[in-house]
Amino acid sequence: MGHLAQGIAEPPGSYAGLTTVLAVLMLVIEFGMLQATLLRAQVRLYAAQSVVISVLAVVVAATRHVPGLYGLAAFSVALKVVAVPLVMLRLLRRTNQEIAGSRALGVASMVLLAVAVAAFGFFASARFRLASPVLPATALAVAVAIVLVSFVLMIMRRDVVSQAVGFFVLENGVSLASLVVAASLPLILEVAFLFDLLVAVVVFGVLIRLHHLRSETLSTSQLTELRG
Amino acid sequence: MLPVSFVQALQVLTVLVAAPGINGVVSRVQARLQGRRGTRLLQPYYDIGKWFRKEALAPVGASWVFLAAPLVAMTCYLTVPLLIPVLTTFPLPLAYLGDILGGGFILALASFVVAVAAAGTGSPYAQLGASRAKTFSAITEPVVLFVVFTVAIVTGTDLPYALARTVRASADQIVRPAHLLAAAALFLVILYETGRIPVETHTGSNEFGMIEEARPFEHSGPYLALLRWGSAMKQLILFVIFINVFVAPWGLASDASVLAVGLAILALVGKSALLGVGIAVIDDSFAKLRLFKITEFVAAAFMLAVLAVFTLYFGGG
Repeated sequence: MGHLAQGIAEPPGSYAGLTTVLAVLMLVIEFGMLQATLLRAQVRLYAAQSVVISVLAVVVAATRHVPGLYGLAAFSVALKVVAVPLVMLRLLRRTNQEIAGSRALGVASMVLLAVAVAAFGFFASARFRLASPVLPATALAVAVAIVLVSFVLMIMRRDVVSQAVGFFVLENGVSLASLVVAASLPLILEVAFLFDLLVAVVVFGVLIRLHHLRSETLSTSQLTELRG
Repeated sequence: MLPVSFVQALQVLTVLVAAPGINGVVSRVQARLQGRRGTRLLQPYYDIGKWFRKEALAPVGASWVFLAAPLVAMTCYLTVPLLIPVLTTFPLPLAYLGDILGGGFILALASFVVAVAAAGTGSPYAQLGASRAKTFSAITEPVVLFVVFTVAIVTGTDLPYALARTVRASADQIVRPAHLLAAAALFLVILYETGRIPVETHTGSNEFGMIEEARPFEHSGPYLALLRWGSAMKQLILFVIFINVFVAPWGLASDASVLAVGLAILALVGKSALLGVGIAVIDDSFAKLRLFKITEFVAAAFMLAVLAVFTLYFGGG
């Protein structure tokens, strides 16, 4: 924290500021997911978050001359903004359920818990001392926070949809981290990551349908009672 | 050139005179959005004038606090404009009398005396409003504190003039995430403090949902006028802090010439009216939260303010 020695935190510059704002926006959207009551809203927030990371990829591609990222942004728009939310919304329409089940904690306490977890992520990754040529290190800290908060989302929300969306958000966090650490990764590897997501969508789709078929609900709180 | 002490008095006078008008703008825009014709822009002034002409009644058993509270609150609201950049970019003689926390304390004192007065009336609605107002301001306080921390880390002080100068200094200061997050958190607090949707309905007689608006239930005549005028002033003061310190500290007078100060007054009224339009749009597009959901609203504001401090500590804010 040497930069605080003079008592004044200098601004990070417009490019670093803008990209960090986009990264932080992803985290804020994730906090919105903790609060969202409608399952549809959950999926829409995920789409919004994916829009933000695609925009971030385009910004990086344009200013840091990494043309491969344009392709990644296009793929991620097609997959994460259009395809995955469409599949999820279609699944939801079939189940005729709109409102998420119970939560393990109240929304306010869940947000406070997530703030604490995000703080841990921030300060833990502050120790890495990584300098990335394309994005400020803060974006990496935000990415770690996004991954950790997605665990809060998956653990605290007791419905299959939130848990699936939590997993997809985790993937968004990892993509953000990979933008920081390895923006010039060969495109084929990035696309392989995205296809991982596609597999996850299929698996979660089957899981959601099966769960709904068996228990007539999307809530997982009853699963503990289904013992031999 | 005007004497600086006159400019300072003019700051207070501007807030005093323009405050009810901003309320008029908000309710007019809101009416238009709802397809109603709405009241005149000057209606709040006529209301205040009407209350001043009416007789004042006090409930049996109410103490002197009941009658003193509107005067004390009004005095507080007249003090705060001395401390914040209402019209000028340069600090006026009394500007360093208090920092943001000092201004916050004075505003809290005003709200406290009104709550005490309401608690002494014996009216259930006034007491309910007073107790709720204190409960929720206790949970919005940490948000304000974290916003102040952000300001302190960004400028090295917590003087409103210093932050306004920093924001004006370069575009880098505006796009930095800490600034945007803190401004957003402050905006949510302002929505709460001015009694707007999604926290509270500003007009009407929805007694059970009322918080701040329920407190002057038992006041009447000139006392009610002072309370209403005071709450309009509080709203404009918070708008000024939001606009002239955080979001858009432009259009202020850089010297004490008549032209610059006159333009600054016009700019302030224009910017506040614009913010009022924004608030009217929010009022129209969201539903009022249930009382126990207000904690979620405050938690969101708290999250934004805490993230602002985090990003700063990490050096990227």
